[in-house]
Amino acid sequence: MSAENAALNAPSKGISPKQLFIGPWTIAVFTWRESIRKKTMVGFLILSLLVIFGATVMTSMMQQDTVGSAAAAGPLETQTKLIKDICVSAISIFGALITIFISASVVPSEIENKVIYTVLSKPVRRLQYLIGKFVGVQLTVLLNLVLMGGLFFIALWAREGMPPTLLLWAMLLMFFEFLILSAFTFAISCTSSSSVLPTIAGLFIYITGNLTEYLKDVSVRAEHGTSMEQLVGQLAQILYNILPNLQNFSLKNDIVQGMVNDPPPFEIIPNLIVYSLIFSAIGFCLSYVIFLRKEL
Amino acid sequence: MSTVIHTENLTKTYESAFGGQDVHALKSMSFEVQSGEIFGYLGPNGSGKTTTIKMLLGLIFPTSGKIRILGSEDITSNHIRMNIGYLPEGAYYPDFLRGEEILKYYGQLYGLSGADLRNRIDAVIDLVGMSHARKRLMRGYSKGMRQRIGLAQALISDPKILILDEPTTGLDPIARKEIRDILARLRDEGKTLMISSHELMEVELISNRISIIYEGDMKVHGTIDELLVDREVVVEVTDLDEPGAKQLEERGLTLEDAISGRARVRVPEGMDVYNAIEICRSAGARIGSIAPRRETLEELFVRVVGGASRAKAEKAA
Ligand SMILES: Nc1ncnc2c1ncn2[C@@H]1O[C@H](COP(=O)(O)OP(=O)(O)O)[C@@H](O)[C@H]1O
Ligand SMILES: [Mg+2]
Repeated sequence: MSAENAALNAPSKGISPKQLFIGPWTIAVFTWRESIRKKTMVGFLILSLLVIFGATVMTSMMQQDTVGSAAAAGPLETQTKLIKDICVSAISIFGALITIFISASVVPSEIENKVIYTVLSKPVRRLQYLIGKFVGVQLTVLLNLVLMGGLFFIALWAREGMPPTLLLWAMLLMFFEFLILSAFTFAISCTSSSSVLPTIAGLFIYITGNLTEYLKDVSVRAEHGTSMEQLVGQLAQILYNILPNLQNFSLKNDIVQGMVNDPPPFEIIPNLIVYSLIFSAIGFCLSYVIFLRKEL
Repeated sequence: MSTVIHTENLTKTYESAFGGQDVHALKSMSFEVQSGEIFGYLGPNGSGKTTTIKMLLGLIFPTSGKIRILGSEDITSNHIRMNIGYLPEGAYYPDFLRGEEILKYYGQLYGLSGADLRNRIDAVIDLVGMSHARKRLMRGYSKGMRQRIGLAQALISDPKILILDEPTTGLDPIARKEIRDILARLRDEGKTLMISSHELMEVELISNRISIIYEGDMKVHGTIDELLVDREVVVEVTDLDEPGAKQLEERGLTLEDAISGRARVRVPEGMDVYNAIEICRSAGARIGSIAPRRETLEELFVRVVGGASRAKAEKAA
């Protein structure tokens, strides 16, 4: 009798501990393979790679053309700053767009095409399914960051003549920033059977999460205003308190202003990582609560 | 014979979100599926078939009522899941994979791996007749091929029970016949099948027992032999002319498929067959054959569902 027949006839209702992890991992790998083929994601990735490529390689070529008229091209240092600014912004924005898009669509798209029925009717718990999907999203986000960051890393190294180690730290923090963004977008996507609403919500989280300092400013200034202004101020205060501060995760200024191999601000990195893990855990738990009794 | 699936007063009401009308998709449904049979779960679109099946699989939750599968009420336990194969209605399978890759994915979800997994994939691909296309991308598959892969994924764990939601809907006649043959073979291997359909011919050909549901209510329940009684006798006649045909109809017989002198004459219940033959003769027709005629499932269906919808219309009026 083969092993699977033995498993079928086994009276036990449990499942081996190994299977507890294999199920989610199988789903994660499948999700990853499917996600990296999504046209929207590939489109964003190609766009960002083009921006990085254009900003670094093209400007180097332009420099060679304009040798002798340095004034026209601007001082080399200013130009490097501009390139770093453009590329880090591109990675951050396109990375966020990809994160939002994938996080918002992995579950709703499976509901739409009914693949989810075939998966959840197998010995796969809803929690295992969610873990698999979520990990699959993170694998996709990671791959994108590696590709975009990798290209810029090489280009910057070639240009500056030294390994831009600070960029690696920036990418690490960006990953943890996207983890928060992903967890909440994912949770919202579990309420829906279409990815439109969760995508909009994800964009909202990303934009306001990057503007929390501004929200604080609004609430402080509104304290002595009219009642209408106070209401807006209170709303801003509430948003400030519940929204994660994503701006903290950005090392863009350090990269643009400093040397590419400066040490990162080591003292805040562990805090940021813990902060990210806590927020993403909350987001993921939220998705589980929503999904556990969801009618499919 | 033992009961494999048992439902008791299973009820599902979809609550509307914005104060609209609730949908009573299923009203106190009770039925049993016996081991080793093909159970046809029939009803027109919107009658509650998919709703029932989704509850059996724990994808949606009953408003009230009980479900027992293989004697257990814990229908989402892994033990039960290992023993149910499910083909959803109109599912799509990721088309960037090859036929065998998608089966590998589903097999892994059952915890299969290594040689066991490979053997099961070979077995189910062979069973559904897809060996020739197993290495092709799903993208290039026809509808019938996709459905066969869908059937294969339902079979990958070698389950005792198969629940198939409209397995032949939307397929061409040849693909249907192929699916039907596979299903009959599965029954012969001892599997229990529950098949939902609104296409009756399909199910009539292979089912042992059927239920007809309509608007969430069970209308008819029984074996095909019990339900489809021999209700009438049909006399095939030739050389029947216009006045003759008229004469037959005047005397209470019904003509079917009358073409160039040939016709089938239905003898209504209650009329003596000899009497009918005499009428045909006197009308100048020649008797070809005389045979009892069984009602088709389609006629039963129309009788049952048509009656129900007429009653509803009268109540509304
Ligand atoms: N998620 C849902 N929300 C509200 N109504 C639904 C939902 N799913 C199905 N229905 C309604 O329930 C009834 C039964 O549907 P269904 O079980 O899909 O029928 P069938 O499979 O027999 O065609 C239909 O009136 C359908 O419109
Ligand atoms: Mg249906």
